Amino acid sequence: MTEFYREYLAVAVLIGAALALVGLMLGVGKLIRPVRPQADKYITYEAGSDPVGGWGQSNVRYYVYALLFVIFDVEAVFIFPWAVGLEPLGIFGLVEMVVFILILVLGLVYAWRKGVLRWA
Amino acid sequence: MWGQQVVFWLLAIAMGAAAIGVVRSRDVVHSVLFLVVVLAGAAAQYILLAAEFVAWVQVLIYIGAVVVLFLFGVMLTRSPMGHDSNRLDNDQRWAAGVVALLIFGVLTALLVDAFGGQQINFGPELVAQGSPQAIGSDLFRTFIVPFEVVSMLLLAALVGAVVMARKD
Amino acid sequence: MNPVIDYHALAPEIVLSVTIILCLLVDLFIPDRPRLVPQLASLGVLAAIIPVLTLAVSGTDVSMFGGAFVVDNYALAFDGLFLVVAYITLLVSFDEIADGDYYGGEYYVLLLTSVLGMVMMASSRDLVSIFIALETISIPTFVLAGWRKHDTKSNEAAIKYFLIGVLSSAVMLYGMSLIFGFANGTKLSVISEYSAGSPPALFAVAIFLTIVGFAFKVSAVPFHFWAPDTYEGAPLPVTAFLSVASKAAGFVALLTIIRFGFFNSSDSWQPLIWVLAAASMTFGNLAALRQTNIVRMLAYSSIAQGGFILVPLAVAGDVSGPSAWEAVLVYLMIYAAMNLGAFAVVMAVSRRTHSTEISSFAGLGRVDSVNAVMLSLFMFSLAGIPPLAGWFAKFVIFRAVFDAGTTAAVVLGVIAALNAVVAFFYYSNVVRRMWFDEAPEVVSSPRPASVALTLAIGITVVVVVVVGVYPEVFARLGQLAFASG
Repeated sequence: MTEFYREYLAVAVLIGAALALVGLMLGVGKLIRPVRPQADKYITYEAGSDPVGGWGQSNVRYYVYALLFVIFDVEAVFIFPWAVGLEPLGIFGLVEMVVFILILVLGLVYAWRKGVLRWA
Repeated sequence: MWGQQVVFWLLAIAMGAAAIGVVRSRDVVHSVLFLVVVLAGAAAQYILLAAEFVAWVQVLIYIGAVVVLFLFGVMLTRSPMGHDSNRLDNDQRWAAGVVALLIFGVLTALLVDAFGGQQINFGPELVAQGSPQAIGSDLFRTFIVPFEVVSMLLLAALVGAVVMARKD
Repeated sequence: MNPVIDYHALAPEIVLSVTIILCLLVDLFIPDRPRLVPQLASLGVLAAIIPVLTLAVSGTDVSMFGGAFVVDNYALAFDGLFLVVAYITLLVSFDEIADGDYYGGEYYVLLLTSVLGMVMMASSRDLVSIFIALETISIPTFVLAGWRKHDTKSNEAAIKYFLIGVLSSAVMLYGMSLIFGFANGTKLSVISEYSAGSPPALFAVAIFLTIVGFAFKVSAVPFHFWAPDTYEGAPLPVTAFLSVASKAAGFVALLTIIRFGFFNSSDSWQPLIWVLAAASMTFGNLAALRQTNIVRMLAYSSIAQGGFILVPLAVAGDVSGPSAWEAVLVYLMIYAAMNLGAFAVVMAVSRRTHSTEISSFAGLGRVDSVNAVMLSLFMFSLAGIPPLAGWFAKFVIFRAVFDAGTTAAVVLGVIAALNAVVAFFYYSNVVRRMWFDEAPEVVSSPRPASVALTLAIGITVVVVVVVGVYPEVFARLGQLAFASG
């Protein structure tokens, strides 16, 4: 049991190190950089050109992509426990998993045929 | 196991503070980012309970996918992302606070009454229970019908979402 | 090591799944034949009834996955109900979907997925299966309620239904997670064993939360407020489906979970369901009295009818025999026939008048006497007037109340009786308007009711009349369904 936690202690240490590194870099930067405030410096950087104000409503097409991503992410989560237990689950598990994946592939085919993946 | 207790309380306090941030924040995008902290805290709590697989599902699905969906959803709206305090606030916030505290109090009292003083026996078998192998074995032995129906459900969700999102 | 699977017992689910996939493929690859998908869908539903019948004839109960999935008479009775209701819903959908500016193929895919969830629900004896089945029922209907994408009322219907549906799922899941924590298992048999002991107070709260989740699904007062707006905004065939099939599935879930899981803790669920039943009947009927739109009236009436279905559940703990359980099944079957019939006639009439206001039904007796007769029959049946099927539905409710015989049961019976009287007013008001009022000047663009719609009205009216005269048909079904349990 303690071994389980010890393994995750490494994860915690890494997370701590990452946070410390970010703090360190920003902190050192703050200490050594010169401070000369100018109004222009506070404008949002938009690849060189002046930013156009307001809120651009994004295209609904992006949403379909995000949704496809969620659905196939959920599918992936179901594949993990099957993959690590492949041998004891045997042919039965394989067949069930193939059915599961095929049904979801049909969803991808649907999205494709209906043209929501086309970007024109 | 006082180490677990300390980690639990650290996580719980961070999660509680971030949860308050979710509802208090005037900026929807900030709310979503606070939500990431809450969800990550929940994942860490699962690790603390030796439920390894659930913890990583939490990271993959919730932090990885659902939050992305939230952000896309926010970007779809027409409202400016700025600090429009009228839209995200409500006169009923005190009533909501009272209700939330009441539910918290009642559930805490009942949870302590039901489970107070009980110890979870941490050991290798608990870790094994939360492993992907054990979940896979349950999935394919007991829950095979729900498993296959979930694929039909996801297919229907996809079809429905595409219908709703199509412009024609 | 692998589970033993009886494919015969799973055949209804498999047939439906294959039908759904075929419908999607046909919609994708043969788009120039739009009639093919609805035909395929109805064939698939009829084909799924065949294994239900063969399983019923074979008469052996099948229990799979350690009792998580059971196919017995109880499951088969509800499977049959769901599939017949699905078939009639398909019949009333054909014209609406073909005429309107709808996505045809996807409609049938989503509708059948919802039916798949219902068929699975009837056999589920485990919290995980019940939850997955419930979500499979609900999620497609969220989209279906908003099928008229360019109509703001339909958008409102979908968003209200969706938010309430998700909220209720969250409440229910919290309750279920606590129950799992106590019983250390998700199977209803395990929960039943646990609740036979002396569970702590939190277990009662868990039961409360779980039942509240279902109360949202069956739109019991005070968790009903989404129903009228959703019913009004959704396309009419979807409204019919929601108010009959989806509601029935909610009741089946409630019945299963109480009968096989919570039964021993009747102190926890009986008072809650008692309150839900009394409030639903009373509030639903009083609100229905004031409606001027027939769809909203039917929405409130279905809330009230839901209250009546809760009555036998509220007394089930005090009934020694199976009469309370039977009452739920019999009432659901009769309610399905008369409510679907009423919606089918409303659809047939509104195809001509383009209105669902009650005033547009005035004088229907002279303009369209056949539909007026049909609607009168369904209204009188809903009011519970003999010799139409509705009276038997009310009868089984009161029989369960008398079998219980406790004070609480008798009080609830009195409330139900008073409500039956109130309900008579608004149902008969529609009939009065149809036969005694002058017809308004309408721009009638006659679009004759199709064969499918006529067939749907025909089937339901036959059920309503035949069961009203020979109630033994459904009574026997009810006895068979609960014979072993």
